[in-house]
Amino acid sequence: MEVPAGFLIVSLLLSCFVASSYGVYFSSLNATLSVTATPTQGQVLKAGEDQITVTWGFNQTYPVGTDSSYKTIKVKLCYAPISQKDRKWRKTVDLLKKDKTCPHKIVARPYAASNNSFTWTVERDIPSATYFVRAFAFNAQDEQVAYGQTTNAHKSTNLFEVQAITGRHTSLDIASICFSAFSVVSLAGFFYMEKRKGKASK
Amino acid sequence: MSEIEGSPGTSMHGVTGREPVLAFSVASPMVHMDHTAKFDLPVDSEHKATVFKLFSLANPHMRTFHLSWLSFFTTFISTFAAAPLVPIIRDNLDLTKSDIGNAGVASVSGSIFSRLVMGAVCDLLGPRYGCAFLIMMSAPTVFCMSFVSDASGYIAVRFMIGFSLATFVSCQYWMSTMFNSKIIGLVNGTAAGWGNMGGGATQLLMPVLFEIIKKAGATPFTAWRIAFFIPGWLNVIMGILVLTLGQDLPDGNLGALQKKGDVAKDKFGKVLLNAVTNYRTWIFVLLYGYSMGVELTIDNVIAEYFYDRFDLKLHLAGIVAACFGMANLLARPFGGFTSDFMAKRFGMRGRLWNLWLLQTAGGACCLCLGLVNSLPLAIAFMMLFSIGAQAACGATFGIIPFISRRSLGIISGMTGAGGNFGSGLTQLIFFANASFSTEKGLSYMGIMIMLCTLPVTLVHFPQWGSMFLPASTDIVKGSEESYYVAEWTEEEKQKGMHQASLRFAENSRSERGGKVASAPTPPTNTPNHV
Repeated sequence: MEVPAGFLIVSLLLSCFVASSYGVYFSSLNATLSVTATPTQGQVLKAGEDQITVTWGFNQTYPVGTDSSYKTIKVKLCYAPISQKDRKWRKTVDLLKKDKTCPHKIVARPYAASNNSFTWTVERDIPSATYFVRAFAFNAQDEQVAYGQTTNAHKSTNLFEVQAITGRHTSLDIASICFSAFSVVSLAGFFYMEKRKGKASK
Repeated sequence: MSEIEGSPGTSMHGVTGREPVLAFSVASPMVHMDHTAKFDLPVDSEHKATVFKLFSLANPHMRTFHLSWLSFFTTFISTFAAAPLVPIIRDNLDLTKSDIGNAGVASVSGSIFSRLVMGAVCDLLGPRYGCAFLIMMSAPTVFCMSFVSDASGYIAVRFMIGFSLATFVSCQYWMSTMFNSKIIGLVNGTAAGWGNMGGGATQLLMPVLFEIIKKAGATPFTAWRIAFFIPGWLNVIMGILVLTLGQDLPDGNLGALQKKGDVAKDKFGKVLLNAVTNYRTWIFVLLYGYSMGVELTIDNVIAEYFYDRFDLKLHLAGIVAACFGMANLLARPFGGFTSDFMAKRFGMRGRLWNLWLLQTAGGACCLCLGLVNSLPLAIAFMMLFSIGAQAACGATFGIIPFISRRSLGIISGMTGAGGNFGSGLTQLIFFANASFSTEKGLSYMGIMIMLCTLPVTLVHFPQWGSMFLPASTDIVKGSEESYYVAEWTEEEKQKGMHQASLRFAENSRSERGGKVASAPTPPTNTPNHV
């Protein structure tokens, strides 16, 4: 059983190291959390209507005590690689504070090793894209110390889609048509009236 | 006087930022004043104002000035309204970087053509209807944003809104019917600069509107669509104001204009040929693409850049971006001022050096803008870049009136179109590409600005010299007269069509610089045809 002890020492050392460096790097984190979410591979969820239930907990295959520094859990909705293509504003960067992979917050909770679950209605400002769910564990200094995600390391399995709202409303469309018509008609009206006045005064 | 000054369509000249603080009024004995006319401002024999009173709303002259620059300002707001909201729009419409870049190109391309057509529209309908027609017909295109649901719709709508930038032409045209040609430079330069500020104002306005609408309860993907209604209403309101408060001429409206209208003494084909065969025209078309063109490009990309690279909130990114465009208030006239200042001592050579220095400095700052990683430095370089580029715009039009006397209108129009073309080109090359980042795009654009400003070294006037070569010492070839009269053929000279050019040549001797006889600061005498 010297492996878990050694692992413990290494991970403690790592967490100190991480705490003293300028920022946390994703590659330095271990996937010690197991996260599952209700959407299945390829399922399409409607923004504003459908729900995701996320459950997370400490992965028991890791040594006991690894999670001693975990204070809060933040669960996020993250872009899959296909939705990051040609969109540099969603780029994955190893330095977490510059990373733009996971901009959408689902929930933040104090850490508990098991029995965590949250049901979230997909919000109406979530864009149409392919996603997975990732949870970060934060220590008392509010730095990431571990993570877990619903997909594999290559982010290629178990991805689901969200179909966003269009943002269009019939009332907006009608208002738009009315104002446009007003603009064109008043222009034509002025033109016609002035031409008539010009003819009358000649 | 064998020509009618300021006849319709002659306005494209005077599109200068020159003489900003020097020529507030005309005191020349050559201007025939009409002291019996009852206007708020002193007027000449055509009832054009000879004084420019900035803070007056007197009908018709100053009122026209304010209506005119405000309409141009409004179209800038509408054309660039999408730019600061791109971080929201790109999520709503699922845009890729190429889509965003292509939309930016589209937004400036439409007006390349509409500006060329606008001159004719003003000739036919008068500048008042030309302006009102354009802004009221582009109001529906702005309202159309509420229908857009994908990339192609977005690109199409931005293209259509972009046509409205042709109000630049109606603005300058209208000024030339209201203001004496001796101060038209200042008037047109101020109007152009203040109109351009709209590109900055919109970066401030749209995010604020978006936040307010969001706070009122709308979701982001609906809020930005509602925000577009405001520029749309501005278009309609300005159009109505122009129609109700404006008039085409100091004395009245369209009818009178049509009587004077057909003064086209010169043949359009000849004027065009004269413009395109002068190599200097093309150099300035290129150069303006890298002063005005890059200014329009930055209007389109800078808010998104600050939002993404420095993680600023939307409205903060908008404030920073707005500073770029708002610098036009002073930067463009400043460029004209430095051009005049250098010309007093060094003549045309001074103007050319001034332009090269300003534009190259702007390019160097653009290069640095893309290289720096800290926010304060980025803002500093952005402001220096804005001053360099916008002053270069003003300085460009300090030189353009001297390229040709006969084809000034067309050359000004071509240069303006070159600005838009340069904007489309730089957006296409540097910002629509997924292969390099925005900051690299900015740096490469800075390098390209510096390279494309080099051709100004090739601009040579036999009578005044160029940046590196002195004037020709030949008595005939080195005279202003021979340069300007060379634009006319023998038969045309026999008909006396070159008389105005001769007078212009005489007045332009001040471009020799130094202790040359105190000719009035270079006039923008109008040729009798655009």
